[in-house]
Amino acid sequence: MNRNYFFLTVLMLVLAAGTFFLNREPEYEQIKPEKLLYDIIQPTRYVTTDQVARFIIDKDPTLELVDVRSAASYDHFSLNNAINIPFDSLLSPNYQDYFGIPGTKVVFYSNDDILADQAWVITRRMGINETYVMKGGLNCWIETIIQPKEPPEDAPYTAFELYQFRKGAQMYFTGAKVDNSVVKKKKVAVRRKKKQKVAAGGC
Amino acid sequence: MGPLIPNGIITGNWDFVIALLLGIAFGFILEASGFSSSRNIAGVFYGYNFVVLRVFFTAVIVAMVGFLYFDYFGWLDLDKIFILPTYLGPMIVGSVIMGFGFVLGGFCPGTSYTAIAIGKMDALLFTVGLFVGIFIFSEAFPLFEDFYYSGYLGNVTLSDVTGIPAAWFAFAFTVIALASFWITMLIEKRVRKNIKEYKF
Amino acid sequence: MEKNTVTNNRPHYINPYLGGVLLGLLVILTVYITGRGLGASGAVKSAVVTTVDVVAPKSAESNPYISKFISDDHSPMYTWLVFESMGIFFGGLLSGILFGRVKKPWVEKSPKITSKTRLIAALIGGILFGIGSQFGRGCSSGAALAGSATFSLGGVIVMLALFGTGYAIAWFFKKLWI
Repeated sequence: MNRNYFFLTVLMLVLAAGTFFLNREPEYEQIKPEKLLYDIIQPTRYVTTDQVARFIIDKDPTLELVDVRSAASYDHFSLNNAINIPFDSLLSPNYQDYFGIPGTKVVFYSNDDILADQAWVITRRMGINETYVMKGGLNCWIETIIQPKEPPEDAPYTAFELYQFRKGAQMYFTGAKVDNSVVKKKKVAVRRKKKQKVAAGGC
Repeated sequence: MGPLIPNGIITGNWDFVIALLLGIAFGFILEASGFSSSRNIAGVFYGYNFVVLRVFFTAVIVAMVGFLYFDYFGWLDLDKIFILPTYLGPMIVGSVIMGFGFVLGGFCPGTSYTAIAIGKMDALLFTVGLFVGIFIFSEAFPLFEDFYYSGYLGNVTLSDVTGIPAAWFAFAFTVIALASFWITMLIEKRVRKNIKEYKF
Repeated sequence: MEKNTVTNNRPHYINPYLGGVLLGLLVILTVYITGRGLGASGAVKSAVVTTVDVVAPKSAESNPYISKFISDDHSPMYTWLVFESMGIFFGGLLSGILFGRVKKPWVEKSPKITSKTRLIAALIGGILFGIGSQFGRGCSSGAALAGSATFSLGGVIVMLALFGTGYAIAWFFKKLWI
């Protein structure tokens, strides 16, 4: 009997020691490098500030603006309804729910488009589709939407059309020259992926 | 895959049937291992019968190690299972009270149900005591409501608190348990030699 | 599995390690199916809640503890743990019948004490266990066994404190058992 117990003891020890070799680190499935390189050179991953402005004005429900700057910069200024995911916490599990919602396009922006581009590459490597970068970042946003320049007189007609749109957008975002000068800060309505409910219970 | 019910693989309607079946298995194992006898159980504190320690520790290490393998093979998502919340102070106080109840009563709730099933009157009284105890607790609850909720640390695991991977704990528990099995085997032999009144 | 041959007068129990492995697998199975562990004291809590709710609905609602467990759409008895505990009873009965341990009501006790002493000790033990299990968020099965097995800090605390207290005070109650 003791010999059987000895074998069982060894068996249990081996099984327990075996758990050391079980890798419990979450593995992110990465997309193929070729696909990533192909996607990187596609211009379609950029959206212009005008497009973003139009999405916001149209209250497009599929738009998810993500501010990858620091929380302080976000508090200082951010686009309407943008959520803040600081670049260094992009991989934090707390924020993973914001990505991969079917039918939602994620648009990253930062002050320029470098940080947003990096965020795009990282999320893309994690296999998240429907992510975009706002071309030119907030600097471009200020130049084009907040302070649009009137095109020279010999500019084509489309340039004037664009200018008209930007003037309209400027009014929308800054409240300039609009009777209704009270710009209420809208509550940020954020959709999150439904969290898996952890079973409750116990004795 | 698992857990099946939280993941919606088995719907809620089967909940109570499953509860009954799992309970039957639980009761069967408890009774068949000898937990329907308070003297068997209390033996763990006096060294004449370590059945509680053996069954209990074996179950804990098998389950711990098993969970890690189940998680690894993707059968069970350990992030989705219920982790008992930790209330530091109340849990220690409660366990000390339970410790007294354990030594005095010789049962714990689960084992007392199986003992009633085979006709032990002391188990019936123990269960009546449980009822009375919980009644007293709930009536007196306002007196210690603040304490009851104190020391809350959340639904934390050992790994969450220490940062050490779960495998280390599983291994440590296994080593301790296996060592205790061998040691208690020797203790039990010695103690039994000196006790004449009790038939083992 | 027979340890030795001098065990004829001893009730036939299964090998404790086999019981332990089965119990461990059952804990895994339970968590695998339901996402939570086994339990036992919760059923008595449901019984208390139900009783108070039926006998004195007003005081049940005003009691901050009991009212936590009252819901409008179903009786407090209609919970997972109550069914599971019924299962424990029937499982014990099944095993008792199979191994021939079911008897007429009797009291198991040390020869040094009277039945009355044993019953009183059991009652007091039950009361203490009942109170303690509420503070501990579970008893030896729900907290100590299932809790520890799922690596819960609280479960391990309950296990250590429960058995630690048992060993610390066992000497004083020696007469009850041996």
